Amino acid sequence: MKKLLRYMRGYEKECVLGPLFKLLEATLELLVPLVVAALIDRGIAGSDRPFVLRMALILVLFSAFGLFFSVIAQFFAAKAAVGFVTKIRSALFSHIQTLSYEQTDTLGTSTLITRLTGDTAQVQAGVNLFLRLLLRSPFVVFGAMIMAFFVDMRSALLFVATIPVLSIVVFGVMLISMPLYKKVQARLDRLLRSARENLSGTRVLRAFTEEKAQIKRFGKQNEELTEEQVRVGKISALLNPVTYVIVNLAIILLIYTGAIRVEAGLLTQGAVIALYNYMSQILIELIKLANMIINITKALACAKRIEAVLETENSQIKGSETMKGAGEDAIVFKNVSFIYPGAKEPSLSGISFTIKRGQTLGIIGGTGSGKSTLVQLIGGFYDASEGEISVFGRDVRTYGASTLCKIIGMVPQKSVLFHGSIRDNMRLGNPDADDAQIMEAIETAQASEIVADKGGLSYEIAQGAKNLSGGQRQRLCIARALVTKPDILVLDDSSSALDFATEAALRRDLKKLPEQTRVIISQRAGTLMDADKILVLDDGHAVGLGTAEELMHSCDVFREIYESQFGAKEAKA
Amino acid sequence: MKTKKKNAAQGGTVRMILKYLKRYHLLILFSALLALASVAISVYVPIRIGNAIDLIIGKNNVDLQKILYILIEISLFILAGGLITFTMTKINNRITFSVTRDMRNETFTKLQSLPVSYIDKNPHGDLVSRMISDVDQFADGLLLGFTQLFTGLLTIVGTLCFMIVLNYKIALVVFLLTPLSLFIARFIATRTHAMFTAQAVAKGEQTSLIDEMVGNKKLVHAFGYEERAIARFEQINQKLYGASLKAIFFSSLTNPTTRFINNVIYAAVALVGGYTCIATVGTASPFTIGMLSAMLVYVNQYTKPFNEISGVITEFQNALACAERIFSLRDAEAEEPDLKDATVLTDAKGEVTFRDVSFSYTEDKPLIRDISLDLHAGQHIAIVGPTGCGKTTLINLLMRFYDVKAGAILIDGKDIRTYTKNSLRDSFGMVLQDSWIQSATVAENIALGCPDASRERIIEAAKKTHAHGFIKRLPNGYDTLVGEGGIELSAGQKQLISIARVMLLSPPMLILDEATSSIDTRTEILIQKAFDLLMEGRTSFIVAHRLSTIRDADVILVMKDGNIIESGSHEALLSQGGFYKKLYYSQFVGATEDA
Repeated sequence: MKKLLRYMRGYEKECVLGPLFKLLEATLELLVPLVVAALIDRGIAGSDRPFVLRMALILVLFSAFGLFFSVIAQFFAAKAAVGFVTKIRSALFSHIQTLSYEQTDTLGTSTLITRLTGDTAQVQAGVNLFLRLLLRSPFVVFGAMIMAFFVDMRSALLFVATIPVLSIVVFGVMLISMPLYKKVQARLDRLLRSARENLSGTRVLRAFTEEKAQIKRFGKQNEELTEEQVRVGKISALLNPVTYVIVNLAIILLIYTGAIRVEAGLLTQGAVIALYNYMSQILIELIKLANMIINITKALACAKRIEAVLETENSQIKGSETMKGAGEDAIVFKNVSFIYPGAKEPSLSGISFTIKRGQTLGIIGGTGSGKSTLVQLIGGFYDASEGEISVFGRDVRTYGASTLCKIIGMVPQKSVLFHGSIRDNMRLGNPDADDAQIMEAIETAQASEIVADKGGLSYEIAQGAKNLSGGQRQRLCIARALVTKPDILVLDDSSSALDFATEAALRRDLKKLPEQTRVIISQRAGTLMDADKILVLDDGHAVGLGTAEELMHSCDVFREIYESQFGAKEAKA
Repeated sequence: MKTKKKNAAQGGTVRMILKYLKRYHLLILFSALLALASVAISVYVPIRIGNAIDLIIGKNNVDLQKILYILIEISLFILAGGLITFTMTKINNRITFSVTRDMRNETFTKLQSLPVSYIDKNPHGDLVSRMISDVDQFADGLLLGFTQLFTGLLTIVGTLCFMIVLNYKIALVVFLLTPLSLFIARFIATRTHAMFTAQAVAKGEQTSLIDEMVGNKKLVHAFGYEERAIARFEQINQKLYGASLKAIFFSSLTNPTTRFINNVIYAAVALVGGYTCIATVGTASPFTIGMLSAMLVYVNQYTKPFNEISGVITEFQNALACAERIFSLRDAEAEEPDLKDATVLTDAKGEVTFRDVSFSYTEDKPLIRDISLDLHAGQHIAIVGPTGCGKTTLINLLMRFYDVKAGAILIDGKDIRTYTKNSLRDSFGMVLQDSWIQSATVAENIALGCPDASRERIIEAAKKTHAHGFIKRLPNGYDTLVGEGGIELSAGQKQLISIARVMLLSPPMLILDEATSSIDTRTEILIQKAFDLLMEGRTSFIVAHRLSTIRDADVILVMKDGNIIESGSHEALLSQGGFYKKLYYSQFVGATEDA
């Protein structure tokens, strides 16, 4: 919590004034029974009409001041809570940008998104509630007790006895039911999962005519959820009636002992009524307090999760080199190995190769053979666990992050475009690119027909690029990488959705950029036929390196892949 | 007109809701009686306490005997009240939980009978939230809201009656002033509505940005977009700050203001009550201090439900909206039922005929047009073509996930619509591109189509598909939990399990949708052998990218823009020199063409 609290800086005033004004309002509330007691004892008993009027006016005055104080308190509380969380969100978002991929992978993207949205909202509600009410409720409970002491010492002892009993009941019920609610939540999550799975598996389930079995399965899990809900319900159903009985029994005792003391002349009728009013106030506040504690516990849990993200320091140390190296070798891998954090087996082991400026490296291999990992190492997303990677003669780790982005143009496997115009998307890597530069890249990427079809660069791409087909997305992603005119272009299986003819045209046009070094990952052997070198990966090991022709003779894996796609006959031909 | 229509729709929803509640009408009646009793007690007790207080007049003027008698009576009432409230809450819980359970079960059951097109059309997250969250919200909103409203109304009526009995003039003061707080609550709510909308819009904008920028962190990094992303975030964040502050502050004014009004009413009752006390002292029917005290308690009791009512109304509206969403799913038309005289397709030979089949997902975009085909039993049919050309649509039609718009598909000479759906689907074994795994054990996943299969048969099927090897190495072998909440399998492993599922059933016909594309090449060769074994003698439809698979097929259907533009064997199609040849050579010869 400490780490988060520093974002409260600048709102100290609000944090003090909010609760303070709330306490002022509560104090006025505590005085009301005394005023009523005076109204009865002096005003009515003494038939003093002006006094009754005065007391009533004091009550109105109290209410007016109470309103004034509480509006001020609400304002300060809202300002502090919203401001605090706005600062946290900013800090969290910026911090997430600095995390390395190892950390992003461990934390999980969806988790990070929840932290930024759901969790921060909970914290905001919690802080607001805390500033407004958490101090108020105990104040009223104990205030009522202290006021009771002012009215009558002996009767106040009854308050001293009742408050702990009530607290035990209220907090006991809360403590017992909270873990049970967690169980309910777990069952609910399981039910949600079943429903989601059922929907995603609709075709398979219908194909296997499994509808009835699914209904049974869902029904069982649903029943188990209901059972758990009933169990919690039984316990929380106790809260209201039990506290009601306790408080009212206390009131009965209060009236009886009060009656005895009035008989003895130690107490007035108005005082008994005042005590009665105080006792009623206590219950309301205790219940409020219990609800609040539940909400604040939730907010605290969220705060802790946010804090955990903020505490994750970037583990990857970036260099500061801003100039591209002068080496003739564009990319050199020297005995590189890589293990993902938490994985047992390395994803890449002992990889070595050299690619010269302007050459094309093809990478081929089965799923999970380490192809994507390899290009991510080139891009500096991860640091090699062993060995050395250099780009234009310099260790990749010595480059500053922004320098490396300019040297390497990435076209990732998943074609993601952001919500916004085509132009905005094309400017992702270079905010100053003009339309001519953009169109040039788009033409190379065989995407000019898309732009023409959609009516120009201002065409708005929807969230998730849902208004584009897979092939269109891929071509625009390639164009986006070309806009920055990168020295090295990395295509991570990024032409798979293109038909063969378009893909061939793309390869032809890419070749017109002679200065550019290319790394192309593909599942299709055909795509890589004209690469200067092909690296064949199998289970993280390099099992072949050479031209397609060389590999046909020397590398079994390559030949297998080739034959599986073209058949043995053509392979021989 | 429009409101009339809406009212009619709401009327329908309300009728549906009532139908649900009818099942528990005895419990509901009982609960209502208990609510009546509990409100009666809570209204009666202050009167008796007032009576007791009236007996405490001053020194040596206290009737302890009578007080004791009254207090004992009150204690009994209070204990009874506690018991009644407890029982009522339990009953209400029971009704709520039972209704939600029933609704979920029935919605889920309904979902199983809906056509696949419905499930394709609606986002899954939306359907799930209707089935689970909406049902919860509906139950909370309606049933809890209802009990609150019911007890609230009873309390209002009860306290008002007692107040009138105690002193109708004071009751009139309370009665006239209370609507003021309602009015103010309404006023604030309508004024803040726009602020909440502004907040929601800013929040939505921010969430989309977060989704994009955090969800695609690698992309942001690869293009050095971090600084600009932060700047954009900052801008929206400030906007959200302004909107949230306004919405939260102004809406939080409701409580203090209504409290203020209630306090003023309280003061007014104290004043008028005090004057009445003084004026009626010594008369035949005095307004006593005990009565004033009871009156003051009533004022609080009476105004409380009013403050809650605005909340209850929003909850009701929410619940109604949820119910509408749930029922709209329930009202969706189920899959067309089997014909009355539908026959069961057993031991299909596998002769498949397409007769002038046309189909489209949406009315305005025709997809498949007048396809006619004659396929013989045991043939292997490869379907090729660019993405979006209608390959998977053919499968949707064969399995009757969708029905043809015109023409007919025949199996063994009879329209597939004359068979029962279940028997038709059971006759096909299907492996889809995206393998679907349920959170269950490996064995349960393989035995999806026949849950009673013995372990031996499951293992045999797994061995044939070459899945046995990796399954054996899982922590608990065939009893390992997989899927969400269990061990996460690789795409290839998932696919192996989906293939084993079909292997276990060995149905007469097969549908393989790009089945081998995500398994690494070497495993794929093994699987290919298993497939060959499986496909032997069975009519098989294969949607594949791999030309080697296609080459071995008896018939190749080349699809483009929803039409089969060419069909025939590999050799025949090559010599024909059409689209297929272009497709084939653009990959194979691509390299040499450029050189």
